[in-house]
Amino acid sequence: MRKLSLLLVLLLAIGGAAFAQDAPTIAVMTPFLAQPGTQLMVEGFEAAAADKGWQVNVIDTSEDIAALVSRMEDVALQGVDAIVINVDPTQIEPGLHAAADAGIPVFGLDSGAHPLLATNVTSNGYTMAAETATYVVDRLNGAGNVVMFIFEPYPPVQKRGAIAQAIFDNTPDISIMDAITPSFDNGPLEGARNAMEAVLLAHPEAGSISAVWAAWDDPALGALQAIEDAGRADEGIVVVGIDATDQARDAIARGSNFEATVAQDFGGMAARVADLVEAHLGGMMSAQVNHYVPARLVTQADLMG
Amino acid sequence: MSQRPHLSSFLRRYGTLIGFLAIVLFFWTQRPQTFMTLPNWVNITRQMSILGVVAFTMTIVMVTGDFDLSVGAMASLVGIVAGSAFQNGGGVGQAVALALLVGVAGGALNGLLVAGVGISAFVATLGTLTVFRGLALYTSSGASIYGRVIPAEFSSFGRGAIVIGELSIPNLTLLAALALALVFVILRFTIFGRRLYAIGGNREAARFGGIRIARLRMLSFVISGLGAAAAGLMLFSRLSTAHPTQGEGLMLQAIAAVFLGMTMNEEAQPNVLGSLVGVLILGVLANGLTQMQIDTYIQQILTGVIIILAVTLSSLSQQGLRAPEWLRRLLPERGEAA
Repeated sequence: MRKLSLLLVLLLAIGGAAFAQDAPTIAVMTPFLAQPGTQLMVEGFEAAAADKGWQVNVIDTSEDIAALVSRMEDVALQGVDAIVINVDPTQIEPGLHAAADAGIPVFGLDSGAHPLLATNVTSNGYTMAAETATYVVDRLNGAGNVVMFIFEPYPPVQKRGAIAQAIFDNTPDISIMDAITPSFDNGPLEGARNAMEAVLLAHPEAGSISAVWAAWDDPALGALQAIEDAGRADEGIVVVGIDATDQARDAIARGSNFEATVAQDFGGMAARVADLVEAHLGGMMSAQVNHYVPARLVTQADLMG
Repeated sequence: MSQRPHLSSFLRRYGTLIGFLAIVLFFWTQRPQTFMTLPNWVNITRQMSILGVVAFTMTIVMVTGDFDLSVGAMASLVGIVAGSAFQNGGGVGQAVALALLVGVAGGALNGLLVAGVGISAFVATLGTLTVFRGLALYTSSGASIYGRVIPAEFSSFGRGAIVIGELSIPNLTLLAALALALVFVILRFTIFGRRLYAIGGNREAARFGGIRIARLRMLSFVISGLGAAAAGLMLFSRLSTAHPTQGEGLMLQAIAAVFLGMTMNEEAQPNVLGSLVGVLILGVLANGLTQMQIDTYIQQILTGVIIILAVTLSSLSQQGLRAPEWLRRLLPERGEAA
């Protein structure tokens, strides 16, 4: 057991490379690093931070919000220069208070506004959802049955569902067949695929399902897989997502039922928040609650061009 | 129990504790400004208080040789139940009472399935885990409950502390200490506790000894459910948010903590002081590695490796198994020194 103790210390020492302490240290904290959009933002921030000579500490708690609060308390005590979060700030208020008590500014990166945040950089969820929902309405000539994949617990995604639903509700001949929250047990792609398989089985007649509107790309891809595997790809079911992940772009580019997505400028958001952090550290506070970075609709034509 | 205090026996019993102290020492030397400070240790105790309550009450179930996989889902469900009570105009007392009642009912259901129907604890609590998770998601429609609907006195409790001079002890830490004391007394000083150990040691012998096994196992699940409910309320109060899956990380960590604690006992039995050390190991590792800016995924790997190493080495040294040569070099010799 003495040797066990030595081994523990050795293991920790291997992981514990020394870090430069003089450069500003920014903690990037999220429970969602497995999500492609979050990865792009974190990578974008790391690139921007490298240009500015900062040291970045990325902390992911694998969807565990309570653990994220604990880790925020840790970095607040450790005394980092700023914290960037990608999580609903209302769920981590004790962490925000710990940072505020330590005088550490916290910036939202596609997280949502909160009085304890210095500012938040995001895409406008309402306009993104409106882009894909109107794309569906236009493609269906204003008539058909739509399956929605939504996610209520995360406000930025919840907004998308709300606006899409409003647009569909405002189109008299479009009916929402089902609004499904995919299970995350094996990832949202698998959860959406399973749910879509069930919808397809419940509506076996060709043409009974006109479109799938998904609040982000993973469930759209899961639904696409289910449609293709059920041999119903030629029914003209229109699938749309949001976020323009590589997998979604591939599906759109090959001319599948997945027709459109919206590209958030994750790199642009990350660079913007890095600039705002830099300005804040230099004494320039942002009075703006949300900074919106424009997003654009991506269809096959955009990818071919 | 060993009659003579051999050094090897001492190390077997206290090896994990020594390992824990080594980890503390290591972080102390690496982060001298921030790690070994009173605010940081207050911080660690508050962070680990919720896991502590689950692990301490889980210890009771594990003493009998059972598991309760549903504790995390129960903690989530209880948050949603209390949150729904607030949404429907309930006061703090009503919400807490209802939530604890749900915990007791869930525990009783587990106990009934395991001790009454005879389903293995693994399968039964895996089933109830899914049921509780589904109930939480259904009741909340998958959405979080937060905001003004939560009474200020409820959310301020989770963030509050009792101040004694310079020392500020978080309310959650005090609750965990209370749970620790209760479980310690139950297991060490009551007939109920001794009978639970008898059931865990040899169920058949316990049966022949006249112990009402089914009733006691059922009661142990009720206590576990109550602990999970208390933890769920603590989590809700700490975050001021009830999310239908927010407690799910607790289950595996609680079981890991109890297993780590079992390495501190000659007979490899669950014991609540061991579980406390297990909880502290997990908490200190997460806190220290974060302060050292170790990649969070490396943190997970290190934590897993440390749990496996501690349990493996303890198990091999206790069973006297003939380990491979490379592993035996890492183990204290049997009868070494004295």
